[in-house]
Amino acid sequence: MSNSRILKSGAGALAAYGLAIAAALFFAFPIFWMVTSSFKSEVDISAYPPVWSFSPTLANYAQLFTELNAWQALLNSALIVGLATCIAMAAGTMAAYALARFDVKGKEFLAFEILSIRMLPPIVSVIPMFIIARQLGIFDTPWLLIAAYALSGLPFVVWVMRVFIQDIPQSIEEAAMIDGCSRFETFWRVTLPLLLPGLAATMVIVFMFAWNEFLLASMLTSQEAKTLPVIAANAIKPKAIAWGLASAAGVMMSLPVVVLVLLMQRYLVRGLTLGAVKG
Amino acid sequence: MAKSGTINAPALQLGATKAVRAGEKSVPTLLLAPTMIIMTIVGLYPLLHSLYISLTNYNPTFGTSYSFIGFANYARAFGDGQFWYSVGLTLAFTAISVALSLTLAVLLALLFNQYRFGFVVLRTFLLIPMLITPIAVGITWRTMMMPDLGVLNYLLSLIGVSHLSWASSPSSALASVILVDVWQWTPFMFIIIFAGLRSLPKSPFEAAAIDGAGHLATFMNVTLPMLKPVIVIATLLRVVDAFRTYDTVYIITRGGPDFATDLLSVYLQRVNFRIFDLGYGSALSWIALVIVLVVVLVFVNLTGFLKLVADKENR
Repeated sequence: MSNSRILKSGAGALAAYGLAIAAALFFAFPIFWMVTSSFKSEVDISAYPPVWSFSPTLANYAQLFTELNAWQALLNSALIVGLATCIAMAAGTMAAYALARFDVKGKEFLAFEILSIRMLPPIVSVIPMFIIARQLGIFDTPWLLIAAYALSGLPFVVWVMRVFIQDIPQSIEEAAMIDGCSRFETFWRVTLPLLLPGLAATMVIVFMFAWNEFLLASMLTSQEAKTLPVIAANAIKPKAIAWGLASAAGVMMSLPVVVLVLLMQRYLVRGLTLGAVKG
Repeated sequence: MAKSGTINAPALQLGATKAVRAGEKSVPTLLLAPTMIIMTIVGLYPLLHSLYISLTNYNPTFGTSYSFIGFANYARAFGDGQFWYSVGLTLAFTAISVALSLTLAVLLALLFNQYRFGFVVLRTFLLIPMLITPIAVGITWRTMMMPDLGVLNYLLSLIGVSHLSWASSPSSALASVILVDVWQWTPFMFIIIFAGLRSLPKSPFEAAAIDGAGHLATFMNVTLPMLKPVIVIATLLRVVDAFRTYDTVYIITRGGPDFATDLLSVYLQRVNFRIFDLGYGSALSWIALVIVLVVVLVFVNLTGFLKLVADKENR
């Protein structure tokens, strides 16, 4: 009796490990393949059967900077995404505070309206943005993408920060105000320090979506304001595809997001679900 | 700076949620202003502009002059078989991909909900695909799926599966891009559902165990109903994003071969930025927007998403 139970639980554990390892392999293998491909020479990458051990080379990464102008794209990405994230965070947190702490007329409608931006497919706004940008002469400048990414980040910030602010008991703020702090002082000295983890998590998510965005970036830039995903896509030409180069570009642009998000893992679920699910 | 004496008396009462202080009437408006300004200028105005363009025959390749043609673009759209084909394909892609991701995510969440040595590390691997830039995902899968040189066909040949053509044949291209989508976004649903599973109360499960319910019965009658809110949110967000899939398909197939993966966003991109038929493209975009809204509203009504969020608020 007890023997069979041990056997049964042993078989259960074995099955659980087998499935878990299979799942991890399925999700990790393409990443492993991308990273190793980025270090392969041109000969190794087109070898068949595929080579598993090879002498790694940095040639692809060097080529990124010499041929694809990756420095400029990296700077563009950092500037555009950084500024857009800051604008969305500042404006969105202010709005979130208003929605969380004041009685605003038509609050639910407002919140829904902000949420509907999240639903808007970018392919719809790309044409008017393209036309307006041409008329204003800001096509292919960073400003256009900064505005677009600030907009698409806003609903995340408003919805998620609203929940994070609601998590902070109002009584703490009231106590500070009774002690003579102004509303702003209270926010700055009491609420903000408590909000920092939430702010950081939200920022990482807004950063991630803007950093990875391709559709708007590819259609609203042509030369000067290209971001990393755009130059990576350029490595794919119909005839000669530079796989090593493309993989290196993939690794380079994915790395910052992976590192940032893994650091903020604890708050990720909250942010991704617009505050609705607690991680 | 307002001192304590000016605090409104009612605001101090227990249970008063909104403390409005003297001289603060305009504060919420000021706080909301930047968001409203950005939303109006960058969000609403381009949309309205697009509505206007959709009523014209604007095409920059024919010069800057254009004329107002009423609803002709919309009439044309209703007869555009290629467009409705893309709409249907996108809906099918979204439905299949989200259903597969959801099933897989629930199963994985149940699997990883066991406390076993090493599971935390293995779980981290399940997180990474959603963080990879979609363009990089497309590049990597396109490399792996090459019929003659790709590593997938090599690995399959080791276990005796013969040569698959993946994204290069019309019959398997859609399945291939769905596979990539499932790979990339199951992690998104997984971490949300996993978090939901971890936060469930213990007692209903104990009660079910005492009643002698089996694994399946417990799952169907206890786990699933309690998990519903979380599943609804994850699915809604995923549906919205799957509907706009562009990057990976653009890299892997560009809508081909033979239009087998010609998703809506790929088709719209072609109308707009290959032939620059911007008036017509705007009309199509608006129809697409209405479709998304209908899908979302139906979904929201079916599942009570807003009520769910409101409940969260009132707790």
